[in-house]
Amino acid sequence: MKKILLSSALCATIAFGGANVLPVEKRTFEQSKFIPDISLVMDASLVNRNISDDEVAHLEIPGVAHGLLGSHSHDEATHATYNANNGFNLNYAELVLSSSVDPFLSMDGVFHFSEHGVEIEEIYFTTTALGFGTRVKGGKFNSNFGYLNEQHHHSWDFNDMPLVYEAFLGMHSINEKGLQLQWMAPTDTYLMLGAEVLQGDNEQMFGNKTIGDTQAPIVKYADAPSLFVAYAKTSFDIEDTTILAGLSYARGSSRIDHTTDETPHAVGGMSSLYGVDLVVKHYFDSYSFLTWQSEWLGRKIDGTQYNLNPDDTTVVLSSPDLTKEQSGLYTQLIYGMSKNWHMGLRYDTIYQNDIEVNNVKVAKPNNFNKYSAMLEYHTSEFARFRLQYNRNNALYNEAGKQQNIDTIILQANISIGAHAAHSF
Amino acid sequence: MYKLLILLLLPLTLLAHMNIAVSYPYIGAITKSIGGEHIKTVVLAKGNWDPHFVVPRPSLIAKVRNADALIMNGGQLEIGWLPPLINRAANPKTKAGANSFLNLSHHIELINKPKSVDRAGGDIHPDGNPHFHLDPKNILVLANTIKEFLISIDGEHRSIYEKNHADFSDKWRSNISTWSEKMASKKGMKVIQFHNNLAYFNKAYGLINVGTIEPLPGIPPSSRHIIELIKLVKEEKPCCILHDVYHSTKTAKFISGKTGIKVILMPHDIGALEDIEDLTSLFDYLTSAIK
Repeated sequence: MKKILLSSALCATIAFGGANVLPVEKRTFEQSKFIPDISLVMDASLVNRNISDDEVAHLEIPGVAHGLLGSHSHDEATHATYNANNGFNLNYAELVLSSSVDPFLSMDGVFHFSEHGVEIEEIYFTTTALGFGTRVKGGKFNSNFGYLNEQHHHSWDFNDMPLVYEAFLGMHSINEKGLQLQWMAPTDTYLMLGAEVLQGDNEQMFGNKTIGDTQAPIVKYADAPSLFVAYAKTSFDIEDTTILAGLSYARGSSRIDHTTDETPHAVGGMSSLYGVDLVVKHYFDSYSFLTWQSEWLGRKIDGTQYNLNPDDTTVVLSSPDLTKEQSGLYTQLIYGMSKNWHMGLRYDTIYQNDIEVNNVKVAKPNNFNKYSAMLEYHTSEFARFRLQYNRNNALYNEAGKQQNIDTIILQANISIGAHAAHSF
Repeated sequence: MYKLLILLLLPLTLLAHMNIAVSYPYIGAITKSIGGEHIKTVVLAKGNWDPHFVVPRPSLIAKVRNADALIMNGGQLEIGWLPPLINRAANPKTKAGANSFLNLSHHIELINKPKSVDRAGGDIHPDGNPHFHLDPKNILVLANTIKEFLISIDGEHRSIYEKNHADFSDKWRSNISTWSEKMASKKGMKVIQFHNNLAYFNKAYGLINVGTIEPLPGIPPSSRHIIELIKLVKEEKPCCILHDVYHSTKTAKFISGKTGIKVILMPHDIGALEDIEDLTSLFDYLTSAIK
């Protein structure tokens, strides 16, 4: 009997390779190896502005945009732009998840948490197996229009958006639901062509929803998707200098809803947005560089303005033809002295503001400028503290008087988790 | 226009051989030795810059896009720059998991694997020290891995790859014995480094690393750490500071000024210094550097 036991125990040991039976807690269908890459980014700031938050909320760039600084609302959600208030601001907590789906797809999700709720900033799949330099993206994502549009706030070199971007497209830029197709030419020189079909919900410029009562609309809806974007980008190196240049174009229907303003109005029409971008980056060694980055944006809005009765906003008082041709640019120089210290200067302007109502030119200011300077200290790749000064001469009060706004921002941008590899 | 397009595309179709993208120059050199005229190697990173920090320039995306295969170092050395290139290139042949994608670190036993992984310990490599190519014996392992890899994706030229590999290995083995003789007298010497990127070289030749100028991996030197290091140099009497070529030698020279310790530049890859033109000259240099 003993012999049998001994020999069967021996056989069992041989059969199981001498391994012990797993402890109870390890006998699971463990899936932890499949956890996607996770990172969490926080952005907070301390702001000192020479004008109160209440006043700031009423400022505008006449004929271009209002409510640029301070909080704003769209749909049912009210939320603030970056650094909206004097004192401390929690700009966001951003949760990023990404992983391969299967051999054919990958998926990325970017969730923007504010104190008031969560927004799905991006969630998209990307094809990985099409070959021939083609890639398809679908879901909600930042358009690849221009240079800055695709980047998240935490990879910007300044804490606030360039004036042209914020004024023309709002704080979310072109962030849309849709499909993207990109193709890279099989050449030694980088050449990428892309096209996007997007839903077309942009608070400042594009839209397709009915304004007013659906039975008797002020502006009728347009068929969605209603925004189309195309671009070409090319890049080459001269020694340790990289040059990246791009041309972008977007066209879509516009529905601008200002029916709840003091002078209620709405705009319906078609708009085009043009972009030219140029980035020249020179590396002195592994850690120090000089980058010159510039983008020009120009837009044309062509439609009808509906002026409404303030006492009853369902009544259209007049509906003149409206065209707006506006353009501006930003140009910035960033010097990375070392891994730890970066500094930069930026000049922002909107220099064209041609508005015609019924083919009659409307006199509006056309000289909006902003100047910024910043100094950054990086404790590591994962944490950055930035001191920024802005002189903003672009905003006007309701009496039509130009304001000179000085802002000092001390920003902390910290991330944990998966290593965020940066694209160029 | 159409003619222009054909002219542009023509040179590409004429390249009948395989186009292999590699992350670092040393991988390119091994691959070229074994692949010979049947392959073309495209090196992504520059040999004289910090291998951890490579600018993911769009021109590199074009190189990955046009590659038939990709060989990387691995061990998270490329984590900060290669993933966006691979994603952007959208090339099924160069994505992780493809049979034309090779991660060399999977074929080497890494040393210095951290017991706990926490960024409070600096910018650590969770899988261990990824600078394994600086042990010349590992080059033999890597060459064998690359030979097998080339055969797996291009079996047609198996005999050529095997012959080239055999030639390379024979020559390399005789080099190893030369270098071992040269380094025999250095065994047991204590050294200081900026970053522990010579860990495998030191292990191969019995050099003992007693300290690094950076207090933790990837964290620039602080004055408090330098004071401690000067004390350490005085107590332990290391022979020299073995310094990489891409960090500033300012701090090392300061320590040298205080203690008289020698500062020796140690190239980490081909092209790190002007004279380092191939793998042999890299190790010739490294094994002659400590006088």
